[in-house]
Amino acid sequence: MDTEILEKKLNRKLKKQFGETVNVTIEGKIIRVSGHLPDWDTVVKACSMCVTKRPGFHVVNDLVAEGVHIPPMRIPPIEDKALDGKEPDVLIIGGGISGCSIARELTRWKLDVLLVDKEADLALQASGRNDGEVHPGVDLGRGTLKQKYVVRGNRMFGKLCEELDVPFRRCGQYVGFTDKSAYSFIRMYAWQRRYICKVTDTRLISGDDLHRREPNLNPDFKFALYNPSAGCVCPYGLTIAYGENAVQNGATVSLNTAVLGMEVIDGTIRSVQTNRGTIYPRLVINAAGVFAEDVAAMAGDRFFSIHPRKGTNSILDKKTGSLVKSISSIKKLKNNAAHTKGGGILHTAHHNLLVGPNAVETYEKENFATEQSSIDAVFEKQKLTAKNLSERDIITYFTGVRPATFEEDFVIEKGRKTRNLIHCAGIQSPGLTTAPAVAIDIAKMAVNELKKQKEVSRNKNFNPRRKGIPQVRNLSEEERNRLIHENPDYGVIICRCEEISKGEILDALKSPIPVTTVDGVKKRVRPGMGRCQGGFCMPLVTKIISEDLQVPIEQVKKSGEDSVISFGKTKGVR
Amino acid sequence: MPDYDVLVIGGGPAGLSAAISAKKEGSRVLLLEREERLGGILKQCIHDGFGLLRFGEKLSGPEYVERFEEEFHELHIEYEVLTFVTDIRKQEGVFLITAVNQKGVQNYQTRTIILATGCRERTAKQVSIHGTRPAGVFTAGTAQHFVNLLGEMPAKKCVILGSGDIGLIMARRLTLEGAKVEGVYEVKPEPSGLTRNLVQCLEDYGIPLYLSHTVTRVFGVGRLTAVEIAKVDDAMRPIPGTERKVECDTLILSVGLIPENEMAESLGVSLDAHTKGPVCDNLFMTDVDGVFSCGNALHVNDLVDYVSESGELAGKAAAGFQKTWRTRGRSVPLDADASLQYLVPQRLNLDYGTDKVVLYFRNKETLPQGILHIEADGKTVFEKKYRNLKPPEMERLEMDFGKFHLNGASKIRVSIRKGGDAK
Amino acid sequence: MRELTCITCPNGCLLQVDETEGGIRVTGNACPRGETFAIAELTHPMRTICSTARTTYPETPVVPVRVSGEIPKERIFDVMKEINNIVLDRRVKRGDVLIPDVLGLGVDVIVTSDILTRKLCCH
Repeated sequence: MDTEILEKKLNRKLKKQFGETVNVTIEGKIIRVSGHLPDWDTVVKACSMCVTKRPGFHVVNDLVAEGVHIPPMRIPPIEDKALDGKEPDVLIIGGGISGCSIARELTRWKLDVLLVDKEADLALQASGRNDGEVHPGVDLGRGTLKQKYVVRGNRMFGKLCEELDVPFRRCGQYVGFTDKSAYSFIRMYAWQRRYICKVTDTRLISGDDLHRREPNLNPDFKFALYNPSAGCVCPYGLTIAYGENAVQNGATVSLNTAVLGMEVIDGTIRSVQTNRGTIYPRLVINAAGVFAEDVAAMAGDRFFSIHPRKGTNSILDKKTGSLVKSISSIKKLKNNAAHTKGGGILHTAHHNLLVGPNAVETYEKENFATEQSSIDAVFEKQKLTAKNLSERDIITYFTGVRPATFEEDFVIEKGRKTRNLIHCAGIQSPGLTTAPAVAIDIAKMAVNELKKQKEVSRNKNFNPRRKGIPQVRNLSEEERNRLIHENPDYGVIICRCEEISKGEILDALKSPIPVTTVDGVKKRVRPGMGRCQGGFCMPLVTKIISEDLQVPIEQVKKSGEDSVISFGKTKGVR
Repeated sequence: MPDYDVLVIGGGPAGLSAAISAKKEGSRVLLLEREERLGGILKQCIHDGFGLLRFGEKLSGPEYVERFEEEFHELHIEYEVLTFVTDIRKQEGVFLITAVNQKGVQNYQTRTIILATGCRERTAKQVSIHGTRPAGVFTAGTAQHFVNLLGEMPAKKCVILGSGDIGLIMARRLTLEGAKVEGVYEVKPEPSGLTRNLVQCLEDYGIPLYLSHTVTRVFGVGRLTAVEIAKVDDAMRPIPGTERKVECDTLILSVGLIPENEMAESLGVSLDAHTKGPVCDNLFMTDVDGVFSCGNALHVNDLVDYVSESGELAGKAAAGFQKTWRTRGRSVPLDADASLQYLVPQRLNLDYGTDKVVLYFRNKETLPQGILHIEADGKTVFEKKYRNLKPPEMERLEMDFGKFHLNGASKIRVSIRKGGDAK
Repeated sequence: MRELTCITCPNGCLLQVDETEGGIRVTGNACPRGETFAIAELTHPMRTICSTARTTYPETPVVPVRVSGEIPKERIFDVMKEINNIVLDRRVKRGDVLIPDVLGLGVDVIVTSDILTRKLCCH
């Protein structure tokens, strides 16, 4: 009865704004919006208007945007039977921060865990294309899953990063205000965050205090909201570390593996088709990021929709690192459009500055192309945070696509129609921060589900510690000498900008999830991440990979299968 | 700790010359090179045309630099290859240098340092190329490494952005190896490279050059599939509506070189905003006592002959500074006015060697005829007529400042005016 | 009248070339080499080429080579073919002749680096 009223109300609202081409039906807790609209932005607007705060309700987008062709998911150009007939206890779809952290938590149990990702490496989509902030959670309202997990997740980072040997620094977050009159309002806000939302580190500091801590920020800042618990981590570094620890504890990771379809009988996934063969899992975890809705649909359990939202970040030369030592941004109370992230300035785990991200709605889930307009917009805003910020110091930029639901919250629950399925979907910011806490809960849900089918016991050999590749540039002279005497390759510097040795590159090629591409090595040990962007070291890294794998240089790829670097030898030898 | 009079960082043409000349002055010299072999970038510059001024021959890069290597070895100069400097500190008038190589962490002590660290290429990101990030986008030097050192073909059908010399040389090189070069696009209204390279690298092979054009976007997921080209306006901004897509598998960038001065900066050396190299005097000493700079680390040269010359002068000066002068002496600024793109050196040392001062300069605009003026304390003391002054082609001039009776308050101004009869 | 850029040296003089019955008249050259260049360019343009030759040594897959003197411009790709046929299985030195009198053009293909003979990491 209640939902009928809601349905009528929503239909009235939509038709008033968009005319008769749109229609809303509510069935169960699914608010289905259908019909057609002139463009994608209008589609997003219409669906967002149907969002309700009722628990468990989700907007599902069946609208067609006229003239918009949504590109199909890119599939790796590999076909074999490598996984054919596998019967894992758990199949995790997606090798981002969610999938990898869940895989690691599941290996605390004696389970056969298989993680698949369609890309050539872990963390190639949203998890590798974000700012790496470990959020304090100060910007989140009560009652959301994001808020439920953010404080818990944040607190786990110190121990977790120590266990996984990933650099992490609690550098603190400052949100500066130029408008003195906002003070009393923000003081209330801070109090509410601190005592009601339990973001207990929240405090206000004076402009003077702020300028003592961060002297290069806007001198007009009158006061700032300060959260010392905020930190930064290398997002793909953490994802890979989680994945490696999972593999060390018995999980299997299969890259270049795309889920193409599922056989669902009587609300149970019987088999999963991939380009590497058919898999017969007991339980499936949907951690497929922007494709989580597609995976849900394959499983006959589509009750939410993803509307991708892209954001671009710029990385600045390390020389500028001292400009901002924390995470800093400016906040204006007016003209702050919903969902518009103006980003901030972040001193990364690798001591570069990162500037961004912005937020632009898109229907292309895998369009990582960058645009000058995004960078211009972010810099225009962030020069208000620190006026000496300069585009001239940019060494690279990248675009990521956030897998947002229309409710702008996570979906962490068991399948509604499909029994052997758990969704970990809609994981956008602060998904990196929440991942450690979410993974524990999802692992528990999975184990409880499996216990219905079989006995599940603890993995007594589980080792939470993963040893990363030594970063020789950060070692003391004594330690560095010891390492070089053991293996002289640690004394041969290949990447001059980031001071990366040949030994580290060879370690990356031998790591638990070796990705023997130029980008795979770059993500693991950073050659090519510096100011020359690989101009000097890329041919050397290519050669080292070719020698290590004993393959011709033309078989070494930049990233995916078709990202050929050399077409073969010169002299017309083809 | 091993102790030296002169420590040279970089074993390319500048560093080799510097080490050789310092050694000839009797200094105890050490040269550190991060790569496996001496020779610097010339190892991969297999084209000819090097050494015309110095040797009167058209040598290839390896031939040119190996001559210096031979002299270097004959003088038994100490050196280390595969040795990477990680830190330099100045302490009580000496420099402590930490480097790393296969033998471990090495520490050296020296009275003077010559920075001969060369330059690096500007990247696609630094010229704001957007779109996807496929394989197949290389700087010209990277492509040159693949072709000339590894014997690998990084391109089949390529577009070259930027008409810098390495880009032009690579256009010819790739064509000789069987690739198709679709065209060279230059954002400026004038070419950046030497005219002779436009002739012998592009015209000879029928490769078109498009001025006032740029690459605005790249396409492709795995490998590059196309680039978007647009015309640009007077401010070098792409003109909407002029975009055209060109299919190609490779984009090669020759969009400028940046002197590598991160080490100099860590020592507190001031850089010149125009050269992007250290501010130095005619002894090639920077504003930090005992730190010298030469070659492409000082300013980007177009001829290696001048790189070697600056190394030679810097080496000699470093030896002199260490042995006899010990102080930097008095100096006055050499002011270049807005008609010059830059002038090196930026200061004139009044105490040590004002009689044979080598000036390197580039004018800002192309001038069929121009006159270089040098004014000292308001009076014109020198004039020289030039023809065909072009920004890509650096000019060298040897001046005797000794005869101008300069003092610590003197003001020297260098400018280029239009006009004058051809010489 | 034709305009040519002299490529003999980095000056890159812009030459004005007049072909008259009495012969070829060159102006704009800063030195006599400009005249020689212009006359050659009009009658039989000559160029040098540089390339690499393949070796059997994995550490040094190619060595730099060039022609010892100028060759007719139209024979560039013929000479390239000859160079591309070389496979070196001996450690040649700088200046060694790989193809004497290539294609009867009166010049040799020579090695331009000691890379194959020079030791690494020596002192």
